[in-house]
Amino acid sequence: MEFSELIRTGQAQAELLRGPEMPPLRGTLCVTGHHLLLSPGPQATPDLWLLLLRSVDSIEKRVAGDAGTITLRCKDLRVLQLDIEGVEATLDIARSIEALSSLESVITSFPFFYRPKGLRLGESWHFHPPERYYKRVARETRAWRLSEANEDFSLCPSYPRAVIVPRTVDDDALARSARFRQGGRFPVLSYYHAPSGTVLLRSSQPLTGPQKRRCAEDEELLQAVLAGARPGARGFIVDTRSAQAAKQARMTGGGTEAKSAYPGWKRLHRPLERGRPLQESFVHLVEACGDLEQSMDRWLSRLDGCHWLSHVKAALSTACLAAQGMEWEGACILVHGAEGTDSTLLVTSLAQLILDPLSRTMAGFQELIEREWIQHEAPIFLLFLDCVWQLGRQFPLSLEFGEGMLLALFDHSYASPFGTFLCNSEKERCLCEVRTRTHSLWSGLNQPKEQRKLRNPLYAPNPLAIWPSVEPQSLRLWQGLFLRWTHPPEPSEVAWEKVWQIATDQEKTEGSQPTDSASEPQP
Amino acid sequence: MFFGPSKLYEFWLPRAAGSVTQHGSSRQPIFAFLNEEKFDVDGWMVYNPVEEYRRQGLPNHHWRITFINKCYELCDTYPALLVVPYRASDDDLRRVATFRSRNRIPVLSWIHPENKTVIVRCSQPLVGMSGKRNKDDEKYLDVIRETNRQINKLTIYDARPNVNAVANKATGGGYESDDAYHNAELFFLDIHNIHVMRESLKKVKDIVYPNVEESHWLSSLESTHWLEHIKLVLTGAIQVADRVSSGKSSVVVHCSDGWDRTAQLTSLAMLMLDSYYRSIEGFEILVQKEWISFGHKFASRIGHGDKNHADADRSPIFLQFIDCVWQMSKQFPTAFEFNERFLIVILDHLYSCRFGTFLYNCESAREKQKVTERTVSLWSLINSNKDKFKNPFYTKEINRVLYPVASMRHLELWVNYYIRWNPRIKQQQPNPVEQRYMELLALRDEYIKRLEELQLANSPKLSDPSTSPSSPSQMVPHVQTHF
Repeated sequence: MEFSELIRTGQAQAELLRGPEMPPLRGTLCVTGHHLLLSPGPQATPDLWLLLLRSVDSIEKRVAGDAGTITLRCKDLRVLQLDIEGVEATLDIARSIEALSSLESVITSFPFFYRPKGLRLGESWHFHPPERYYKRVARETRAWRLSEANEDFSLCPSYPRAVIVPRTVDDDALARSARFRQGGRFPVLSYYHAPSGTVLLRSSQPLTGPQKRRCAEDEELLQAVLAGARPGARGFIVDTRSAQAAKQARMTGGGTEAKSAYPGWKRLHRPLERGRPLQESFVHLVEACGDLEQSMDRWLSRLDGCHWLSHVKAALSTACLAAQGMEWEGACILVHGAEGTDSTLLVTSLAQLILDPLSRTMAGFQELIEREWIQHEAPIFLLFLDCVWQLGRQFPLSLEFGEGMLLALFDHSYASPFGTFLCNSEKERCLCEVRTRTHSLWSGLNQPKEQRKLRNPLYAPNPLAIWPSVEPQSLRLWQGLFLRWTHPPEPSEVAWEKVWQIATDQEKTEGSQPTDSASEPQP
Repeated sequence: MFFGPSKLYEFWLPRAAGSVTQHGSSRQPIFAFLNEEKFDVDGWMVYNPVEEYRRQGLPNHHWRITFINKCYELCDTYPALLVVPYRASDDDLRRVATFRSRNRIPVLSWIHPENKTVIVRCSQPLVGMSGKRNKDDEKYLDVIRETNRQINKLTIYDARPNVNAVANKATGGGYESDDAYHNAELFFLDIHNIHVMRESLKKVKDIVYPNVEESHWLSSLESTHWLEHIKLVLTGAIQVADRVSSGKSSVVVHCSDGWDRTAQLTSLAMLMLDSYYRSIEGFEILVQKEWISFGHKFASRIGHGDKNHADADRSPIFLQFIDCVWQMSKQFPTAFEFNERFLIVILDHLYSCRFGTFLYNCESAREKQKVTERTVSLWSLINSNKDKFKNPFYTKEINRVLYPVASMRHLELWVNYYIRWNPRIKQQQPNPVEQRYMELLALRDEYIKRLEELQLANSPKLSDPSTSPSSPSQMVPHVQTHF
């Protein structure tokens, strides 16, 4: 398939309106295989504006007289308006954008063509997060091993090739446990908490069904977890469905772990919204933020009505619960919902940020995302980023990365020249050869010129757990994301620059110390 | 002072109320008169009216300083020193005083350094039901307009809602009508009166004390309308500032009596226009001038030493002003020399009666009671410890006008003040960002000192800066909250 087949009109004259805060751009508009380009002419700055077509969420077109208007709503919540000369040009461009922004095939997407100078293919893909993480775990305890039973993705198509499991459980047992779990997602190690010697695991729901089936290997697996932790350790299963929903799941083949079958494990229900209700909440919030005409008298109650912040609260509360279980009770925690892909990941990743200072460093955070998240475009990833932002707001010194990093992750998760967020699983990524044919997002973000926008200049490593307050009064609307296009960013940018200046001045003075130590007074 | 949970403001007070001795029913003096604290700095010296006017270039060809109110004979709630148009004689002023509520005649608050437009403050004209007119008052406003040749029409901002201003006529007040004041145009700013503000704050108290409303927090907050009032006050001040800054017109601001909403509008506008007032001393001078010397009725509004807490005069007008300042400091993190603690300490001592700064209702009463001789000024406490109150991100700028966004989306409830005693709200004392900044600064100073010592000891040649600067390994302890 040739991109050019989908592009009907090469060029047109247009004016781009980017919102209330930025001046309009006028010039030549052009649609390419992956981008929308506007060239205002050699004298203007910027001399080229471009948009990845992938980031377009919806298009509206209107024609009147001999001109037309296209309104693009982007996935990063921007609303752009193009006034184009020529009715036919307008309609053609709109059709081209529609077609190119929704191409199904992964390998036609831009990351497979993006070849910037200064980056080499294959850089920063060397993470192999489970293997790397396993090395950390192995230093602390011998109770776990790295299993490559999923080498060909036959056990679980959505898991990576290697997973971390209890040492005493062999690959056959894993295979049987995988058959007993939805989508093959048997319990695997997510995080090892060294201070208490306990662990955080994730999985999907057991396929107990109406006949109350059991699986000896699955039970053996969870027994081994407790045995390997501490003598007499307890376990908590945090089920992200309500008790009712979990019970109903049995009718359709799913269910919960029966108390008698899993001694030592206690089940807790902490329902987290996902799927359609979460999506609606997000849509309502975006509408409320973008609606400039509504009366401000009703802003707060409208915000309340979206319930987005109550999802943030629920996510942080459940993560705190899991973290508390490990830190204060010395218990092992297993988190699952139904499929184990949405709310499960939210809980496990936030719990790690709360407990583990390494996941709060730039490198650790990138690894956390690779390990736990690279899955969906759903608003649940945005919910995760929102929760991380709340943590950063309450603990401004404890995260090595700043708001800029979170915004960059949000943008790139929807549309990116990098391959990191492509595909839904490791298996698909291998099939499409993502690692060898696209650049990793981390190689792009870790370039020195980008780091200033992404790092937190006030970072001071904090070895303690950070417990957020989840009271509604402590949670805020993430203005930097939801009101990004309506609020002038200038004062906070000035402040950010000043903060950076203070931090780098201090580093420079530190760095310009002469290195001969003989005459240096001891601090 | 206030005791017992039924009183409105009790929950705002610092827990260590040991310094309070005044009891409503006993006749003991207010603590400020017994306080024998000594500080390095004398806060009473901070505000000198003549010096402040001189800083603004006054007196000049068009504006003079008058001592007509030296003994508070013209207006007992105004300061002794007033700045009026050169062309208005003292007799003119006396005649205008008969037409203004409480004799609070239009006087200058602030003059723009370049375009020479002014902010003038006063009270409502005593128009009454019969629509009285006063030639002297009309001429006086025209004289004010003519101090700046470029101005065709004077702008009058009446802080009240239209409806209330009209209703005030029934009690002898009113506003400047078009037919009487040809060269002026009047706008209403829709800010409600002290009773509405008192009720609004009471609603805020109800949703945060003794328990914080959890289930529909934002909707509950909306129903208090507190942030809406903040928004209206800020919007009004923005209009005043914008008008003056544009050079198109001078501004006259009044409400009913000219000591509540008027003070809010003039001081906020001055804060937006004049970067001097954003320094610590500048802000102290602003408060001392526009609020204290111009007769905001602190004693009545707060009720120092009065056990009758339900009095209709009580109202959180000054608190509202400080809340607006806090909103501005959030939107412009580098523009103010002072930090949040500075604002909270001022509010604490509004009630504490440890200092004489906020006692009594006007300058004449304070002079009579010899407050500056018998008590300590709050600014003594603050200026002796300035480092604690400084904003680490302050970047001094001259002549930058700040226009805050007064939209509900960008205003926040000041949780660190209104909900500060609730243990479930995340609070960090001291602010970790500031603490980190202090650490970085201290480290930097230490390194610079060492560098200088080494430079003296060694030759001037230094090796290359190291390529891997390490961040200080200091660990900041974190408060664990109840979860």
